[in-house]
Amino acid sequence: MSQALVELVREKFPEAVTSWHSHRGDEVITVRRENLVEVIRFLRNDPQTDMKLLRQIAGVDLLTFKSEMTGGGALASIEVPEYDLRKKPHVEPRYYVAYNLYSLTKHHALRVRVDLRSDDVKLPSITSLYRTADWWERYVYDMFGFEFTGHPNLTRLLMYPEFQGHPLRKDYPVRKRQPLVPELDFPDLIRGPGPGPGGAGVPMSQTHVGRHNVDPDAYD
Amino acid sequence: MTEPAPQHDPLALEEDLPSAPMTINLGPSHPAMHGTVRLVVTVDGETITEAIPEIGFLHRGFSKSSENSTWHQVLPYTDRLNYVSPILNNTAYIMGVEKLIGIKCTERAEYLRVVGGEISRICDHLTCIGAIGLELGAYTVFLYAIEARELLWDRIAELTGARVTVSWTRISGVASDMPAGWEQHLRDCLPRVIELTNEIDTLLTNNRIFIDRTRGIGVISGEEAIDWGFTGPCLRATGVNYDVRKAHPYSVYDRMDFEIPLGSRGDTYDRYILRLAEIRQSHRIVIQALDQMPPGPIVTDDWRYALPPKKDVFGSIEGVMAHFKLIMEGIKVPPGEVYVYTEGANGELGFHIVSNGQGKPYAIQVRGPGLPILSALPRLIKGHAVADLIPIFDSINMIGGEVEQ
Repeated sequence: MSQALVELVREKFPEAVTSWHSHRGDEVITVRRENLVEVIRFLRNDPQTDMKLLRQIAGVDLLTFKSEMTGGGALASIEVPEYDLRKKPHVEPRYYVAYNLYSLTKHHALRVRVDLRSDDVKLPSITSLYRTADWWERYVYDMFGFEFTGHPNLTRLLMYPEFQGHPLRKDYPVRKRQPLVPELDFPDLIRGPGPGPGGAGVPMSQTHVGRHNVDPDAYD
Repeated sequence: MTEPAPQHDPLALEEDLPSAPMTINLGPSHPAMHGTVRLVVTVDGETITEAIPEIGFLHRGFSKSSENSTWHQVLPYTDRLNYVSPILNNTAYIMGVEKLIGIKCTERAEYLRVVGGEISRICDHLTCIGAIGLELGAYTVFLYAIEARELLWDRIAELTGARVTVSWTRISGVASDMPAGWEQHLRDCLPRVIELTNEIDTLLTNNRIFIDRTRGIGVISGEEAIDWGFTGPCLRATGVNYDVRKAHPYSVYDRMDFEIPLGSRGDTYDRYILRLAEIRQSHRIVIQALDQMPPGPIVTDDWRYALPPKKDVFGSIEGVMAHFKLIMEGIKVPPGEVYVYTEGANGELGFHIVSNGQGKPYAIQVRGPGLPILSALPRLIKGHAVADLIPIFDSINMIGGEVEQ
């Protein structure tokens, strides 16, 4: 079933599909970045494919994919091996983005992948095709820093705005700590309007992960 | 004949009242915002004109932590994704690892997973219904729902050893079999759960106040819901028949006789009534699974993936070696990439897992069913009164753990 789907896309876009494979029943195609939107538009709108549900957008960083672990799972360092970053040749294309699509009427699924080189992490947004792509693209932007051109509001989804870097990149250290962000001066209803947006409001965001006035040394 | 009294136009009176858009922050630590989500709402009088959800207060770095844990160490993290129905999360994640390895779960364990999972689903729906009742002023409903949920959570505690942080599934099986007499315990307490569900049904379903507060509120059409990425009860409330258990039967769901309840309007009331109907279907599945459950091993005897029995660990060199390798290095999963999807309590729960053949997941990202649904919250509440915000928010049953990972 899904095999036929891959054939269909390859016939329709012989230039766009660079590779395809099947693993454990999951059909995967890799398309060129320039053709991403038209391939996904075809998959969404064509009655033969009819993939109206965008399940998820996931990003993967292949930086340390080839690295050997020393000492086995539990014993291995939780950091990226330093020598990997310095000595080993860089994997290019380093990233890929996977779009998991599904058809509610035909009950078939397809994963569309786009490779990204580390020096150019831009790719077109598909928010015009799926409303749900809005938050998933923000999520991937937040975690990996890929720029989805054409996204209406590409801001961080889970991390706070002052956060530096992108945590799911493999060269982001697990134990890294970021300086705490000073508490914002929230507008206060009793003490008068403050500089924040909206003019008046109730300070509710003091428990935000980045905005606690806790001694930074208390954790370490 | 006296002249008729001049008709008062209630709207004409309001025109004179000064009204300017006002911004209100709801949450993140508001008792009605389950979990910690912040909602910046712009209201014009009583009407919501704009809403921006802000999430991330509960972000624990699920993906990053998991990528630095062995395959089995990820299991406790998955408990904390949806902390109301953790067995469903455990099962979904382990099914992903099993798919990568290409190993099959033992038959008895499949049935145990179905029993545990459907009990968890009932708990999740009861929590949701109880919360809707609570926040619409029907405190009794909440008490009934929590009583039923506690009954089931006690059974889960007996089965797994923990109420919520169960970490119960294992690769190709589960951690523990049913203790002696547990099946009878469960069969004894299920009628009470259904009785309490019926009580809730009586209290809410035909309740005039409840219907007025929920009927036609937060309406979304099926097509639009799919566009927003809805799955689960919220999608089925719009009439779209998509349930992973029926569309792609995994585990032993193809041997179960159950129905998929469907709504028609896609409003808050339908989302409530659908959860009520699903509780009854889950009850049917639990009874069938208990009836059909075959005897047999609950985990594979392939020591590359499952811990050997203690008798072998202490009694044979092979057992010690297998135990040591599994504990110190974890299992080795062949390289590959899979997307595994199951029917969670609130919709399709998916894991996108990449392995590079080492002892840890190379990349793992979760598709929490709540995230797409929460992203559509502004669409659902726009144009409604402030008082309708909370029932709508309750009916989508957003779980902070899985949305904010």
